[in-house]
Amino acid sequence: MEVLLGITGKDFTLIAASKAAMRGATILKASDDKTRQLNKHTLMAFSGEAGDTVQFAEYIQANAQLYSMRNETDLSPSALANFVRGELAHSLRSRKPYNVNLLLGGVDPITHKPSLYWLDYLAALAPLPYAAHGYAQYYCLSILDKHHHPDITLGQGIKLLTLCTDELKRRLPVDFKGMTVKAVTKDGIVDIEFDDDKVVKSA
Amino acid sequence: MSGIFAINGGACVAMVGKDCVAIACDLRLGLQALTVSNNFPKIFQYGDVFLGLTGLATDVSTVSDLFRYKVNMYRLREERDIAPRTFANLVSSTLYEKRFGPYFVGPVVAGLEPKTGEPFICGFDSIGCIDFAKDFIVSGTATDQLFGMCESLWEPNLGPEDLFETISQALLNAVDRDALSGWGAHIYIIEKDKVTKRLLKGRQD
Amino acid sequence: MADRYSFSLTTFSPSGKLVQIEYALNAVNQGVTALGIKATNGIVLATEKKSSSPLADPTSLSKISLITPNIGMVYSGMGPDYRVLVDRARKVSHTGYKRIYNEYPPTRILVQDVAREMQEATQSGGVRPYGVSLLIAGWDEGVLPEEEVEALAAKAAAGKEDDGEKKKITGKTGGILKGGPMLYQVDPSGSYFPWKATAIGKSATTAKTFLEKRYTEGLELEDAVHIALLTLKETIEGEMSGETIEIGIVGPPADHLLGVEGVEGARGPRFRKLTPQEIEDYLTNL
Repeated sequence: MEVLLGITGKDFTLIAASKAAMRGATILKASDDKTRQLNKHTLMAFSGEAGDTVQFAEYIQANAQLYSMRNETDLSPSALANFVRGELAHSLRSRKPYNVNLLLGGVDPITHKPSLYWLDYLAALAPLPYAAHGYAQYYCLSILDKHHHPDITLGQGIKLLTLCTDELKRRLPVDFKGMTVKAVTKDGIVDIEFDDDKVVKSA
Repeated sequence: MSGIFAINGGACVAMVGKDCVAIACDLRLGLQALTVSNNFPKIFQYGDVFLGLTGLATDVSTVSDLFRYKVNMYRLREERDIAPRTFANLVSSTLYEKRFGPYFVGPVVAGLEPKTGEPFICGFDSIGCIDFAKDFIVSGTATDQLFGMCESLWEPNLGPEDLFETISQALLNAVDRDALSGWGAHIYIIEKDKVTKRLLKGRQD
Repeated sequence: MADRYSFSLTTFSPSGKLVQIEYALNAVNQGVTALGIKATNGIVLATEKKSSSPLADPTSLSKISLITPNIGMVYSGMGPDYRVLVDRARKVSHTGYKRIYNEYPPTRILVQDVAREMQEATQSGGVRPYGVSLLIAGWDEGVLPEEEVEALAAKAAAGKEDDGEKKKITGKTGGILKGGPMLYQVDPSGSYFPWKATAIGKSATTAKTFLEKRYTEGLELEDAVHIALLTLKETIEGEMSGETIEIGIVGPPADHLLGVEGVEGARGPRFRKLTPQEIEDYLTNL
């Protein structure tokens, strides 16, 4: 029951991932960071099978950084999303496919347009204004359908995110130990302080 | 509702008219009953030829990228655009290459023969068996509904405007009775020296 | 170990020449003359069929080969090398084209495939260049030269009122949808040239001088066969007969070679070899 959320706004993309590292019914860690920075303007969040996730994410991260070093320029978020899709699609028809779901958020370094890409382990790729993975989809997408606008500010985005996490705390049967929240803007990636201790009463 | 072809949902249809052809698709991308995106087009243009792909979304992307590559290479090698019939045979042989580990797609090809201007449409199964048709081709999770709509609405020698109306109504009403497709549509009307693309909003529920 | 390392036998000389290729061309220039003439409605390929002994059976000898129903070729140079190339050409026209597109390759594509094979033999380890030059003749589906002229004229006539985008005849990359007869020469180096008329082999220079005098624009196939025989007569050593001359033509679809009748849309091959009797008929009219 990992939670991945992504929201784009006027000039930013928010990426949030649950902090709990779980194995079966046990929470092993309550400060897990399920995100990797691919370059200055692109951040990737991941969930899925234990070993695969970090392995795949860091493979992508290494390749993105290699590209930046070789060419002295960063790949755009859309280029990275399609690269990741290619790698994942290749893996899908291999002997042991990666079981990883991804959200890739970024701001284009040239146009400053925010973008968010949804990828599942089958390597289905969809560019979206807001997205989620796992059970969070069932609780959050309807909230985002109602309240999201493409031109919201970062503050409004964080409020929207809180709306989502409140619902998750209310409805999910396990404690996901709060969220790591990061925002991608034209100036780079910043950590967002997020109140994980807020108690939400169940219905 | 089950099976690999129906995970993401989606529908596509092509029709023959008088000196024109039409091809249309829905825009939904889902995971079972959950809709993930309402902007996932399933028709791809390669020069003067159009390819519709329904089925597993990952294979829709993989296969459309593959044919973009193959058609671009063809164009560079032969210094001409690929003809619809030639492209259809390319699709067939490419899919059959993966006979024992197929792409989970239901392709549809539409275009006009370059020399005669004759309409050409055809469909395929996932391992490349071609279904040549004189009237219409349907594909995707709304196949049954599309067959019903096309059988009742289509008639021979429709002009471009009438063909647009026919294919639009056929698709829109078919996907409304399919939980896995819908959420808007792309319609292409292909004439001798003009291609018209229209975006239909459709029902958003 | 020996097969792990192998170097190309064709290497540059200090002056920048590839002498192996020049030697291969020498082999070609000792070969029996072959020629090709393109007409408006077809092509003729012709060569002399020399048997080394009066005991040899001339009917078993064949220098002009069918590659696809619409493409054929002839050579000058080393016979065994030619047979290898014929095999490769026939194979690649299927594996690299018919099995993919369910149609036969256009002449230029086939020529490029054969030329690639010949070029590779100049750069690969452990092989020598092919000792042949080829003349490849074929017919391509597409806009015929005369149709193109008509279309251009029609466009010029309609040009005044409507200069807008008329449906283009040419491909998107500035290329061609050109159909009709195509004649190419391919050399051991892998270079290839399109020709209106040309000759290769021992008396190529004499034959080409003769062709330059005789060739005219708007030639018909029948005239081309006539000129081919006259040219051959200039260079030939023995007597000319149906047995000693070989002729291949690209012409109208030869439906009688189809083997079936009444199949709708079935078209016979455009490339075919003339029978000794047909050649004799042309020779008597010479």
